[in-house]
Amino acid sequence: MRAYWAFTKKELLESICTYKLLILGCIFLMFGFMNPFIAKITPELVKSFMPGGISIDLPAPSAADSWMQFFKNVPQMGLVVLAILFSGMMAGEIQKGTLILMVTKGLSRTAVLCSKFTVAVLLWTVSYAVCTGVTYGYTVYFWKTKDIDHLMPALLGVWLFGVLLLASDLLGSVISKSSYSSLLFTGIMVAVMFLLNIVPRIRKFNPMRLVSEPYGLITGALKTSDFSRSFLMTGVLLLILLVLSGIAFQKKQL
Amino acid sequence: MMNVLEIQHLSKQFGTHQVLRDLTFQVPEHSVYGFLGQNGAGKTTTMKIILGLLKADKGEVKVLGETVRYGFAKTNRRVGYLPDVPEFYGYMKAEQYLRLCGEITGLSAKEICSRSEELLSLVGLSEEKKKIRGYSRGMKQRLGIAQALLNEPGLLICDEPTSALDPLGRKEILDILSKVREKTTVLFSTHVLSDVERICDRAAVLKDGSLALSGSLEELKAQHRKDSLCLETGTPGGQKLLESEFQKKGYVFGVEKKNGVLIFHTSDMARLETELMICMTEHNICPLKMEVQKPTLENLFMEVIS
Repeated sequence: MRAYWAFTKKELLESICTYKLLILGCIFLMFGFMNPFIAKITPELVKSFMPGGISIDLPAPSAADSWMQFFKNVPQMGLVVLAILFSGMMAGEIQKGTLILMVTKGLSRTAVLCSKFTVAVLLWTVSYAVCTGVTYGYTVYFWKTKDIDHLMPALLGVWLFGVLLLASDLLGSVISKSSYSSLLFTGIMVAVMFLLNIVPRIRKFNPMRLVSEPYGLITGALKTSDFSRSFLMTGVLLLILLVLSGIAFQKKQL
Repeated sequence: MMNVLEIQHLSKQFGTHQVLRDLTFQVPEHSVYGFLGQNGAGKTTTMKIILGLLKADKGEVKVLGETVRYGFAKTNRRVGYLPDVPEFYGYMKAEQYLRLCGEITGLSAKEICSRSEELLSLVGLSEEKKKIRGYSRGMKQRLGIAQALLNEPGLLICDEPTSALDPLGRKEILDILSKVREKTTVLFSTHVLSDVERICDRAAVLKDGSLALSGSLEELKAQHRKDSLCLETGTPGGQKLLESEFQKKGYVFGVEKKNGVLIFHTSDMARLETELMICMTEHNICPLKMEVQKPTLENLFMEVIS
């Protein structure tokens, strides 16, 4: 356990020294500001781009629009940044050979994987919390309303999908030789989930639903219970990816 | 004397290439054991199997009486490892890196502090304040020794630690290894035979994946004792006559000619010297230079691997 904590501390230090924490923090902070701001100025922007003589009657922006922006930006751009930043979390160390001295000091391979995954999830959680907090603060500031229906399960769904992507990055970087192939692995997994989303019977089980339909929860078109199978399937898939990473890394030649 | 490392019938194959064949040897406690062999002879493969980084096809490895299991790091807590080119986290300082290693090994904070200080001073890095990414190759190698010795290992494995260093760096590493021999057992692979002669008390030569010879340096030299005599002559045609004359003698293993010098390999140097003098007098051959060469590890190595 002590070895796990020591290596986790090293991972945290590395995320600071290699600017990973800074990059992730800045990007998600930017998203946090952008979401309410874009929601606020969108009607004005649309009006200004309309040709002369044509008028359009747009409803006034609301707090729900701000969260809609959140659920558009974070899953579309934020998760891509997350997958790219963590694509080489194992491959880099395996390629350079830095893990050899750690393992020959008695650090177990399971502890290496657990530390890497813990810090990746921690950085994602902190960045996501910053983004959510800023969006929430500005939404309350602009629209003076705190109550958005089913916001918590919608937020939790996106967070869980991010954790799933990190687990996929972990497995990808254990079985592949470079961060590019690890990213490709995650890309293929997401593409398969996109394709499966077309099939209505599979859709309700698909983890992709957590990031493709959270608006439904906010607008009230969907209930939290509609997502329960997706949550469950994401949890199961997450466990499978982690177990497979452990098995693959145990057999990996360092 | 207790054996720190015991290797029994070890075999390893990569694809169709058999790297290790039924390799068996033991490393006794408090020895500096030179592990020799050509490139691809299987030295690094053997070391990686000892460290649990590679899976053997057959055989057993025991470190301090405990069996090594592939993928499990338990036995490594009692082993120190120094690869030929150690890779560190470049954003750390030497002290930080040793602290990380100490915590992983399970040392207490107090032990880490005192051991780090002691080892950094031993390897001459105690005053170094820059990050590891700014270190030279020699400095990295010295830090590599410090990390390998941090847990006071029963067995220190060094895989060609001097191969990438300049003569000064090589000397520094060998001096450090000589200093630590009282506290630990060292398994030391190298291509530089003079390094083995300088610090090792035992050696093994690996050829085609199996042990060609092993033992203490004195034993090896005594067992394979073949003195040589080098002769330069000033008489034209004299060398040809001596070559054909002495190749027939039973106590001469061989006669070779290198850069105008005749080299006689013999088991009876006194007889060779006497009979050579008689022969040269009889045939009016004038000797310019006669020199007896003692067996070296290099000669022995060349003889074994050729």
